[in-house]
Amino acid sequence: MKRHRLRLMLRDASIGAAFASMAVSGQIAIWAVGLFLLALVLALLGRRPFARSPRLTALLLVPLGGALYLSVAAGQMDLVVAACSFAAFVAGQRMLSLPGPGTDGQVLLAGLLMIAGGAALSGELLFAVFLVGFAVLASLALGMTVVEAAVPEGEQLPVRAVVRPLAMGLVFAVAGAVAFFIFFPRLNWNMGARRASPGLGTATSGFSDTVRLGGTGTLKSNPRVVLRARLSPDPGNEHLGAYWVGRTYDTFDGQEWTTIGNPSGRRGTRVTLRPGAESLVHQRIELLPAYGSRTLIALETPARLGNAVAHTPAGSRRTSLQELGGDELRFMVQALGYTYEVYSVPPGTNTVPGKLQPLERDQLLALPDALDPRVEQLARRVAGNEKEPLAAANKLVSFLQREYAYTLELGGEMEDPVANFLFERREGHCEHFATALTLMLRSLGFQARLATGFFGGERVADEYIVRAGDAHAWTHVLVPGTGFVTVDATPPAFRTSQSQPWLESLVTLYEAIEARWRTSVVDYTFRDQLNFVRGMVRPPKQRGAEEQRTRLPPARAWAMALVVGAVVYAAWSFLSRRGARTPVHQATRFVDAVERQLARAGIRPLEGETLEDVSARLAREAHPLAPTLAPLTRRYLEARFGQRPLLSGESARLLQELERGLAAWKSSQPPIARAS
Amino acid sequence: MSPPAPSLWRRLRAALRPPRTLSVTRTGRTYLVVTLGVGLGALNTGNNLLYLVLGLLLSVIILSGVLSERCLRGLTVRRLGTDGAFAGEPFAFRWNVSRRRGHAFALTLAEVGTPLSGEGSVGWLPAGVEHMVRATLTAPRRGPVKLTGVRVTTTWPLGLFAKTRVFPLEGTLLVYPRRGFACGDPLDAAVGHVGEASSPQRLDGTGDVAGLRELGEAEDARRVHWVKSASAGKLLKVEREREERRTFMLAIRPGLEAESLERRCEEVAAQAHRLLEAGHEVGVELPRQRLRAGAGNGQERRILRALAWLGFEEEGQEEAA
Repeated sequence: MKRHRLRLMLRDASIGAAFASMAVSGQIAIWAVGLFLLALVLALLGRRPFARSPRLTALLLVPLGGALYLSVAAGQMDLVVAACSFAAFVAGQRMLSLPGPGTDGQVLLAGLLMIAGGAALSGELLFAVFLVGFAVLASLALGMTVVEAAVPEGEQLPVRAVVRPLAMGLVFAVAGAVAFFIFFPRLNWNMGARRASPGLGTATSGFSDTVRLGGTGTLKSNPRVVLRARLSPDPGNEHLGAYWVGRTYDTFDGQEWTTIGNPSGRRGTRVTLRPGAESLVHQRIELLPAYGSRTLIALETPARLGNAVAHTPAGSRRTSLQELGGDELRFMVQALGYTYEVYSVPPGTNTVPGKLQPLERDQLLALPDALDPRVEQLARRVAGNEKEPLAAANKLVSFLQREYAYTLELGGEMEDPVANFLFERREGHCEHFATALTLMLRSLGFQARLATGFFGGERVADEYIVRAGDAHAWTHVLVPGTGFVTVDATPPAFRTSQSQPWLESLVTLYEAIEARWRTSVVDYTFRDQLNFVRGMVRPPKQRGAEEQRTRLPPARAWAMALVVGAVVYAAWSFLSRRGARTPVHQATRFVDAVERQLARAGIRPLEGETLEDVSARLAREAHPLAPTLAPLTRRYLEARFGQRPLLSGESARLLQELERGLAAWKSSQPPIARAS
Repeated sequence: MSPPAPSLWRRLRAALRPPRTLSVTRTGRTYLVVTLGVGLGALNTGNNLLYLVLGLLLSVIILSGVLSERCLRGLTVRRLGTDGAFAGEPFAFRWNVSRRRGHAFALTLAEVGTPLSGEGSVGWLPAGVEHMVRATLTAPRRGPVKLTGVRVTTTWPLGLFAKTRVFPLEGTLLVYPRRGFACGDPLDAAVGHVGEASSPQRLDGTGDVAGLRELGEAEDARRVHWVKSASAGKLLKVEREREERRTFMLAIRPGLEAESLERRCEEVAAQAHRLLEAGHEVGVELPRQRLRAGAGNGQERRILRALAWLGFEEEGQEEAA
C-alpha cells in the first residue's frame, strides 16, 4: 500500500484540481461542494471507507443523481452544472473505493469530464491554473501507474526517473496545446462561451432604492472589481478620477434619500436621456458579477445607452432597458453580468434637464420637516449672500472639506444623522458629506440632489477598472442655463477605494493577468488568428512608406523563421546532449568513495589494480583491513555486475563501516619515532 | 558481395516511419472518446476554453507517441533462452535488453509469432545497463519452436497506447515432451541381470572380471581399465560377472502419429528419467534414429532432445542445412 501511496495522492490531487476548475465558476451547489471536499480529504488521508463494498456504496449515487435531476427539473440548476456535479460525485465514490487500474481510469475520466465542464461553465483565469494543475498531476499519476505495473513487487519505484521525462514532456504538451489553440481555425464566433460566472465571492455592491445614512462603511475597503470600461477616445490617464453615476435621489426625510419621480415606464433596447453634443465619450462597459445590481453605470453625464447584453449562467442574450425615476436605467433581465455601450456628454457641456416634471423640480428644494435649524444657519454663515449656486456650492465644499474629517467608523443608527455629522461628530463618510452639502444648498434656495455611483477608474491594459470600494456619493447642483453640475464635498483623498494598498495591488495584478487571459484566450477569434498570422508574415504597413510590390515574404518573416529554426535546433541539441550523457552508475560512485577513503588511509592501488585486486592482495598479505574490505568489494561487484543494486542507505552504511575499520587500524599502528 | 546500400529515399522513409504497431488500450479508448466529445463541443459552441482543453488533450496524444518512440529507439535485445523447456509446463526464459542512451520505461518483452505464452517486463531501463528480463513462458506442445523475433511493447508514458517494436532475432527453442509419470514399466533389460546385490545404485557390479569392451558414449569413465586401454589404444570398460546396472532400450515403433505419438514420447521420457535416476543405462530406439544406452544427466538430455525432434526431422535438417 505504501508503494501506491504517492500515485494515489497524485491521482486524488488531480481530481481536486479538476473539481476546483469547475467550482471557480461559483455555480456548484454548496452541498455538492461539501460532499466532494469530504471525499477528497478522506482520500488524501488514505481512508477508503468504500473499499469493502464498492458496488453497494455506488447506490449512494442514485439519490444524489435524483437530487440533481430534481434541481434541474425545478429550474434551480443548470443542466451542465448538474452533469458536472454528478461527475464529481462519481469521482468521489471511486476515490473512496479500493484503488486499482480500473478505478484509477474511472477517477481520471471523471476528472476529465469535470475539466470539460469547467471550461463550459466559466471563463475565470483560475480555470487555466487548475487545468494545468490537473494535467500535470494526472499525467504523473498515469505515468506512475504504467511503471508500477511493470516493476516487480518488492522493488523500489524509480520515481525521480519517471518524473523528469514526464515533466519535460508536459512542458512540450502545454506548448503544443497553446500552438493548437492559436492556429486551429475557428469555425464560429465564440457564441457558446459563458461571459460571466458568479465566481467565488458574493456580489458586494449595487444600488438600492434608498440611501440611508448610518450603517457600516465596510464597502469602502473592498477592492473587488465591479466594472470594466473601454473608453473612446481613450484619455490615456493612469487614474481617470471620473464620476460614474448610477442614479440620483431628490427626497430626504431626515434619515434616508429616496426619489419622488415615478418610473416613466419607457422600455427599449436604446434609451436617450438627453440630446448629445458633438464630442461624446463612448464607453463599452462590462458590469461584473461582483456588482450585483441591475442599475446601469455610466460616466457623467450619460446621454445615450444601449446594446445591452445580459450574461446569465445559461448563456448571453440581449436585454432591453427600463427607465426609472432619478435618471436611473435598469436592465430588464436579472443576470450575473452585463455589457452595454454608453455615450456620455463630457464635463462642462450644457446638460439642461428638459425632462424634469414640475413635481421633480420642486423636490430639488425640499427639506425634511424636522431639519435642525442650525443647518441653515451654518449654510448662511458659510455662503454669505452668494446668489450664484455654483459659487455657493464651492464655498460650502471648501468649508466642509476644511472643517470636517473623513471616517469609516460610524456611530450607527441615530435620530438626526445630518445634525450629528455637522455639529457633534464632525466626521463622516461620503454620504454624510454629500447629504450635508445638498441640504445646505437647498436651505439657501439652490436646487440640488444627491447622486450615487462610483468615483475613480484605474487603468489596466487598455481598459479602466472600478472597484467596489470606489462606491461614492456626491451632489448635483442645478445651475440655470447649464444644467446639473457635479460638486463633491468629500475630501479628494477619500473619494476612491479605502482598502489596503497591498490588497489593491494584488487585485490589480490579478486583473491585469485576467485581462490578458480574456483578450488572448476567452475572446480569441478567427479575426485574431488572421491578425496573428498576418503579423508574422506581413508586418503592418507603415504610413508614408513606399509601396513595394513583391511576392517574397519580407525580411521580418525570414528573420522570424531563422529565429524559430535556431530555437528548435538549440532545443534539439540540448536534449540530445542531455540524452547522450551517460549516467554515473550508483555502484561506480560507491567504489570511488571507497577508493578515496583507502587513499586517505594510505592504502593506494598499484598500477592497474582494481578494488577486487586490492582486496585480494590485502587478503594474501593477511592485512587487518582485509576482513573489512572483502564484503564491500563483494557488494560492489554484485551491484555493478550482478543485477543486485545497492539498497537505499546501504552505501552510506558500508562506507561508515569502512571508516570505522580504518580508524581502528590506524589507532593500532605503532607511533612513528622521531629523532629529537 | 555485400548487398547494395538502401537508397536515400528508403532510408528517409524508414527513419520517418519506423516499423511500429500501435494499439489503443482500454483507458486510451475512453480518452479518445472524451477527446472527440470535447472537440465536438468546442466546434459546436465555439467556446475558446474548450478549444484550449482540446489542444491539451491532443497534445497529450502526441506526447504519448513521442515519449513511447523515444522509449523504443536505441534498444538492443539479446535472447538468452532457457535451460530446458517442457511442454505444458512453465519454464524460465531470459532476454537481455540494454540501451546506449536515455531511459526506457515499462517495457514488456515476448516472443513474436510463436505459440509460447507469457511475457517478461522491466519497469525502468537506465542507459548503459544491460538488464536481464526474466519471463515465465509456457509451450503448448513438444517439438522445435522457430523463434523469429522479440516483441517489445511499452505503454509509457500514460498507458493510453501500446506501441510495439519487433526485433528480428532468429532462433529455435526445443520443447521437450511433457513431463509426467510413467504408467507402464519398461520391457526387460536388454543387458545385465539382477545380481547378488539388491541395490542397482552400486554401479560397479560385483564378482570377477568377465571381460572388457569398448567404452560407449555417455558411459561411466570410472570403469575404464586404463592399462588395457593404453595398450589397445582405445578406452576399454571392465565388465564383471554380476552387473547390477542394467541397460534398457526404450523403443517407439514407427507409424505412431499425433496424440498417440505424443503420449508415447511422454511415456518414454518419463521412463527414461526414472531409470536414469535409478542408475541404469538407457537408450532409445526411434523410427529413424537409435541412441546408444548411456547413463547420467547428459544421457537424459540427449534422450529428451531426440524425443523432441521426433516427427520434426525435416525441420532439423533444414536448420542444419
